[in-house]
Amino acid sequence: MTAVPQQPDAALAPAREHSPALAFEGFEARYPFARSAAVGPVDLAVRAGERVLLLGPSGSGKSTLLLALTGLVPQAVPAETAGGVRLFGAPVAGCRPSDWAGRVGQFFQDADQTLCGMRVEDEIAFAPENLAWPEPQIHAAVKKALAAVGLPQTVRRRRSATLSGGEKQLVALAATIAADPELLVADEPTASLSPRAARRFRALLADWPAERAALVVDHRLDGLVDVVDRVIVLGDDGLIVADGPPHVVFRRHCAALDARGIWTPLAADLDRELEAGGLAAETMPLTVAAALDALDARGLDGEERGRARTALAAFVSRHAPPPARPAGDAPPVVSLEAAACAPFLGPVVVSQVGLEIRPGEVVGILGANGAGKSTLGFALAGLLRLKAGRRVGAMGAVSFQNPEAQFSAGSVAAEIETALASGGDTGGRASRAARILRDWDLERLAARHPFELSQGEKRRLALACLAADERARLVVLDEPLAGLDRRGAAMVEAAVAGYVRAGRAVAIVTHDMDFALRLCPRCLVLGQGRVLADGAGATLMRDLGLMQRAGLEPPQIAPALDWLERHA
Amino acid sequence: MLSWLHPLPKLAVALAFLLASILVFDLVFQIALSLGMVLVLVVFERVPVWKVLLLCVPFALFGFGFLTTSLLFRQQAGVALDAAGQSLWHALPFSAGLTLFFRALAGGLVSMAFALTTDPGQLVRALMACRLLPPRFAYALFSALELVPDLAGAANEIRLARAMRTGRRPRRIPGPVEIGALVVPLLAFAVRRAGRAAIAMEARGLAAGGARTIINLPRFSRRDAVFVGLAGLVLAMLVAGARTGWSLSALAGAA
Repeated sequence: MTAVPQQPDAALAPAREHSPALAFEGFEARYPFARSAAVGPVDLAVRAGERVLLLGPSGSGKSTLLLALTGLVPQAVPAETAGGVRLFGAPVAGCRPSDWAGRVGQFFQDADQTLCGMRVEDEIAFAPENLAWPEPQIHAAVKKALAAVGLPQTVRRRRSATLSGGEKQLVALAATIAADPELLVADEPTASLSPRAARRFRALLADWPAERAALVVDHRLDGLVDVVDRVIVLGDDGLIVADGPPHVVFRRHCAALDARGIWTPLAADLDRELEAGGLAAETMPLTVAAALDALDARGLDGEERGRARTALAAFVSRHAPPPARPAGDAPPVVSLEAAACAPFLGPVVVSQVGLEIRPGEVVGILGANGAGKSTLGFALAGLLRLKAGRRVGAMGAVSFQNPEAQFSAGSVAAEIETALASGGDTGGRASRAARILRDWDLERLAARHPFELSQGEKRRLALACLAADERARLVVLDEPLAGLDRRGAAMVEAAVAGYVRAGRAVAIVTHDMDFALRLCPRCLVLGQGRVLADGAGATLMRDLGLMQRAGLEPPQIAPALDWLERHA
Repeated sequence: MLSWLHPLPKLAVALAFLLASILVFDLVFQIALSLGMVLVLVVFERVPVWKVLLLCVPFALFGFGFLTTSLLFRQQAGVALDAAGQSLWHALPFSAGLTLFFRALAGGLVSMAFALTTDPGQLVRALMACRLLPPRFAYALFSALELVPDLAGAANEIRLARAMRTGRRPRRIPGPVEIGALVVPLLAFAVRRAGRAAIAMEARGLAAGGARTIINLPRFSRRDAVFVGLAGLVLAMLVAGARTGWSLSALAGAA
């Protein structure tokens, strides 16, 4: 294969400075025993002062590229590489990965990979300690980093292992920025963050000093695309398919990105509708609210307002919740009475829970980081014993936040077959396994070991195993979108629709408010150690007081719903 | 009280007491050492009695093995005791076994007193600061310390995943077969975790050689000197007592 240097789009925003912070020069990496390259050959450069968003489908090699930046691939993670990587003008190959710690802050996809398993304070201080900063300066850096990510100073003494998934992500982020790096590299930093915490990360990126660079990989684009200067898109083959400022990439390549299963922001979808109605702004707005402001600023006449309403209605219909199905009189699949739920070896985090979930219902479980969403999910499934109260119903199935916990076989195909066997499927197991592999786009990975997969592929495999076992009447999906590309998210939505058709109940634990709004007619909002509200998702998510109390934020699509109501 | 002290003098004292409990084959010495440690833990450190007793169980079981052996092979034990030159408890048929029993208990209690009153993080930091432990090993040790509770969490997740597959709720306490089946997945988890921790540490600048700062380092103070002096005096008196057969006049002379 030969490198095909990608020309940036003409309208590339001027970088705040022009010296290259990092450069991949025909870089290619292939893991041992892999038939094809994990990424590349790639040619790309990020200049000092640029904040770059790297997009691509699951398994396109984004994480490999980030690991190769400081030489972790191939020095710590074995791989065959070709081409070169330069950081601040120096070749990475001649240095140890640790040599870059003072200039590059690396946030890994899995927060556990960033954290070393110490107390929060030690985690954050670790890089400055290694850089031999004076102790008072380290304490000041720890304080500043905690404040920057919105964690209270009281968490300093807590062990990182006792934190919730979202809290770990925040500590990992604080640990990454504590050493004041010139280049921030973050792989899915908001994957497990509540909307408010994710906004904090975006604010941090927006305020990133002008002379420094940032390279971020993330699937949650809304609110992020308006704080980056440039978007680079990797295709399935690990080659660059688009490169330019976000408003150009998402307007010019939106259809191509959709076809490749790569996330685009909601604003891009709205822009497409408005463009079809001849109402698009000259420069694509990067948030739904900005698009609507631009629309209002046009001073729409009667006919234009009608076209705008049509465009907005079409946009909203694709992202709004499905009509709520009447719960009916069928006996509940599961019910909790005055339940108190606690995580394994932990204190009670949610108490006085009383609810029933009936067949065919899809219930969203929402709340800030550490509110007890996963704990409630496990309690609903009957996998976690209640500390008080009563649960009635058969055992449910859960897709774990950490998909690795679910794997027990030596290959992807064997994992599916084990799940089918557990579900008591005796006839036509081979054909069912093949169909599930196809449905979840795992066919080409069938022979791979589950632990060799990318994070998104692992998530798809865990969800596929859950789909293979049809015994459970209640299916709990814990952060099902974490690490998934758009194609994967569509698979989750199709699976949920299938569960509903089969009369099974679904509970979805998620931080993605738009996803919850689209899929969950009913939502539970957790906060202050209890269920703050239980009702129609569309109503609860637009209750600003409730969102504030729960530490949440309304979905990104909310301004469009408001606009339609105002212009009904 | 002991938790206020610098970990290194405390470690030195604990090692001295452990060495003494190994070398001084005297029942009264071992009983006095055990009682002294219980006193320190319960009265000064406010450790609940039940916890001390519970933690003593493995040491007591270990010591019980010596006791039963000495009862079963009484004659040989008497010969061994004669050879050791101990006479006070010679009259008792199982005195050697009793001494060994209390020696196991005393060793356990000394270790317990050290472990329950020392923050492992502080100990590792102090060892690093005194260049007794290179940072790479120290942070590997840190990781290993933190891995233990994580293993419990990982084991729980694996059990829940298995329960889901079998359709049966997991038992409160896993049986021996289930524990056996957890060994390989947990080993794999530990290996993966260790690999990731190594990558994370390297990415955050941990490397061999070179200066590094250690924050929150425990500082030596006068109370450490007082503690070492007092502990040394107590140990000297106990050893003297054992050597003189617990004669009060000899003890007064030693003091």
